[in-house]
Amino acid sequence: MEVTLKIHRYNPETEQGGLETYTVQAEETATLLDVLDVVKDEVDGSLSYRKSCRMAVCGSCGMRMNGAAVLACKTPMKPLVDRGEVPVISPMGNLPVIKDLVVDMGPFWEKFRAIKPYLDEGSGDAPVKEWRIQQEQLDQIMKEALCIQCGCCVSECNSMEADPDFLGPAALAKAARFVYDVRDRGGKGRLERYNGYHGVWDCTRCYFCNERCPKGVDPRDAIAKVGARIYQEGMRSDKGARHAKVFVDSSHKTGYLLETNLVPETVGALAAIKEIPFAMKMVRAGKVPNPLKPHKAGKLDEVRRLNTLIGDQEKQALEAVHRGPAWPAEDAPRPAEDDE
Amino acid sequence: MKSSYAYYPGCLASLSQKELDASTRAIAGKLGFELVDIPGFTCCGAGDIHEARPEYYLHLNARILGQAEQLGQDTLMTICNVCTLNLRQADKRLKADADLLARVNDNLREVGAATYSGGVEVRHLLWEIAEGDGFEKLKQIAEKPLVGVKIAPFYGCQILRPSKLLGFEDPDRPQSLERIIEACGAEPVDYPSKIKCCGFPIILAREEVALGELIQPLTEAKEAGADAMVTPCPLCHLSLDAWQGKAARESDMELGMPIFHLAQLVGAAAGLTYDELQFKRHLVKPYPATDKIYADA
Repeated sequence: MEVTLKIHRYNPETEQGGLETYTVQAEETATLLDVLDVVKDEVDGSLSYRKSCRMAVCGSCGMRMNGAAVLACKTPMKPLVDRGEVPVISPMGNLPVIKDLVVDMGPFWEKFRAIKPYLDEGSGDAPVKEWRIQQEQLDQIMKEALCIQCGCCVSECNSMEADPDFLGPAALAKAARFVYDVRDRGGKGRLERYNGYHGVWDCTRCYFCNERCPKGVDPRDAIAKVGARIYQEGMRSDKGARHAKVFVDSSHKTGYLLETNLVPETVGALAAIKEIPFAMKMVRAGKVPNPLKPHKAGKLDEVRRLNTLIGDQEKQALEAVHRGPAWPAEDAPRPAEDDE
Repeated sequence: MKSSYAYYPGCLASLSQKELDASTRAIAGKLGFELVDIPGFTCCGAGDIHEARPEYYLHLNARILGQAEQLGQDTLMTICNVCTLNLRQADKRLKADADLLARVNDNLREVGAATYSGGVEVRHLLWEIAEGDGFEKLKQIAEKPLVGVKIAPFYGCQILRPSKLLGFEDPDRPQSLERIIEACGAEPVDYPSKIKCCGFPIILAREEVALGELIQPLTEAKEAGADAMVTPCPLCHLSLDAWQGKAARESDMELGMPIFHLAQLVGAAAGLTYDELQFKRHLVKPYPATDKIYADA
């Protein structure tokens, strides 16, 4: 089949670049990566892009097609050719461009290092023999463990566009993989790394990361899992956690969100004073419900009992996490080989 | 389109964004479907309870779905993106896992709340009027076409992504709002950030990051010549409308971009008045756009 692409070229030596159009012949089964290979072999050997495994495992060939990050090796071209589309191929977003489709992954790896991407064994009692974990324990981190670090989730992260230092979906999904690993003893110290500015509460929930991830990691859901652990450990130093607490508390008090409590309880009373002119505009437009007569849901007692009941269950679950499974003792029998 | 829906306005349309609730009720009459109120509904938990206490979030949403079921309704209508994602995500998990549904129902029973058997589908107003007989009905009621009015669609995130939970249309090239804008006789304006985030979820905890996100669609819509923007989400509306002044000041710009709720756009084309659609409850004055719409009034 005949494939036409527009490729975003950039030459760092001349600092020149722009869209170039290429038309080549490719097999009907060709992926975007196959087509790029044909362009490089037959038309312009100076075209630069990363590749290695060609089977969606190594995570090298992340790039944008029509503005959306994809793995080139996992993107079949026939459907686009059939639609008569001429896709625009460009480098991933939120990372500096080195040449053509090659981005500098340096800032990406820096954020990985910052989240401490290895098991913290705590102090003293390191295990003395192999520790096999149970399937249901692995299931808690299975999705996050599928990450191939390709950067597709980072490419369109809306919060990172506004705050380049945001740890971002890839690093925070890796954080969840360790927070929920039963062997990890990092505790609150580990969580503190993700709790501050540029951490989990920077996430704006745009869900681009879930949409783009080629491996089904669902990084936004992973960020929420880290946020849940921080919240349930009672850590309230960040405005993000205090914001969440207003929602929880107001669901108990009225069944609805108590909008008037959001600003003072999130940013603090002093900072809230600065917001008074803004609040007055909201009052004049009729946007501020009367705080003295809050709108209350019917059957509120049901919700209060529900909050208490589920809250107790959450506490018990967290206590079980704190107790943790014991390290296997030196004389412990080797676990049964269940599938060999 | 159904003849009746269990109606879930959520918190914002019940509190600060009452104009959205009023406009939705007003267009329901025109479109010919009944909105059945859910007695004793609560907040869906927003992104916040969903994140901080996922188990509580799941139970709150199961209870709402169960309440809709008790009304004898098989479809629940939302008018907020966040409510839509929250309810659909909970619904999908409960329908996919019988053990989970049983455990959640045990808890709901213990507190005396409605239980859920999995018989409700959650649909946003947008989806009901963007295709099929709902769209045909929309074209019929748009008897006062908004000729010459340029409207920039702003989708918001959680009606497009994650598409495996929402899935109404291509999340990268949605067209539902454009179709509705055209059916209302107005002209849709295209711009790159129409599918991006308004920043609302972090507008208090990370104001500067949120305003950095918010300014993009506002400036792009302005540059594209829009008279107003329209959104299907009251959180996006609050961000685009109430925080617009701050975002403009931070970026040293003049914006004055009126923001319409989806139901207000439809209502205006259906001949409902400025007062019926409660445009006066916006922070950014809607006049330049509404003057065009109500020129003959």
